Amino acid sequence: MEDVNELKQRIKTMMVENLMLQLSAPEIGDDQPLFGPGSLGLDSVDALQLVVALDKNFGLKVPDPAAAKEILQSVNTMVAAIMRGKREA
Amino acid sequence: MSARIILITGANGGLGQAIARAFLDENPDNFVWLGVRANRQHADELVAKFPKRCRCIVLEVTQPDAWRSAVSQIMAADNSLDVLVNNAGRHQDALMPNMSWAAWKEVLQTNLDSVFHGCQAVLPAMIAQRHGRIINIASLSALLAPAGQTNYAAAKAGVVALTQSLAKEVARIGITVNAICPGYIQTEALTGMSEEERKGVLGRIPMRRFGTPAEVAVAVRFLACAEASYITGSVLKVDGGIF
Repeated sequence: MEDVNELKQRIKTMMVENLMLQLSAPEIGDDQPLFGPGSLGLDSVDALQLVVALDKNFGLKVPDPAAAKEILQSVNTMVAAIMRGKREA
Repeated sequence: MSARIILITGANGGLGQAIARAFLDENPDNFVWLGVRANRQHADELVAKFPKRCRCIVLEVTQPDAWRSAVSQIMAADNSLDVLVNNAGRHQDALMPNMSWAAWKEVLQTNLDSVFHGCQAVLPAMIAQRHGRIINIASLSALLAPAGQTNYAAAKAGVVALTQSLAKEVARIGITVNAICPGYIQTEALTGMSEEERKGVLGRIPMRRFGTPAEVAVAVRFLACAEASYITGSVLKVDGGIF
């Protein structure tokens, strides 16, 4: 199974590339919020892109807004969802 | 010009046929999916003429499931969908006091709901690709709102607004969304017009002639081309100068 740290790195790189963030992957904190105060400052369009990218790159389906709210909180929550999906597969 | 995968709805009609031919002419490697319903004779003829370059796909544009199925089929076959042309439409004209609710709903579903379903169906693929071109065929009726077309004018004005709003949502992802408003074009839509009506309409067109489907098709092809990458949320009239 893929190492968790490796997975975090892949997600951060994906975010920088897909969302055209003005920072590098190492600058993104594992627990840093994606949205809201003190966050990366992502918006709803970024969320849409993340949902598509998570499916494309990691096979993670985000089926509805409730799931999106839970999964798209931080890098760590995305990692947890991907790991959970792999265990259940 | 690199080869592209194109989906056109309403591909059996005169305008749909012209748009398909414009893309077939553009690049010998373009592949065109012809969205059709029960009437598909002209689309089938085009497939017979270009069997390796286009294919019919049954698509009831008012049904989201049909869209999902069609896009899945295209992605399975081509692994890409570069251009969507939402061209399917119809009108049922009547003055408001005489317009049935069924006529209102049917025209809204066919002209506006279909565009919503189509855009929603192709966006995941286009977002994943990080490029795409969506061209929505609206109508001059969206801008002029003629009497007798409350349903059609409202639906097409909705298409224009949807186009502009969606364009803002996906601009940063490399997807452009534009609308074309054809005026009076020589298609089956004009066949119900009497000679007197035709003369009256021609008198209101500064160019004093009806447009051809090919003249609309080149505008579609332009908005879909790679060089039109900075044009999004635009509404292009193709109408011989009516305003």
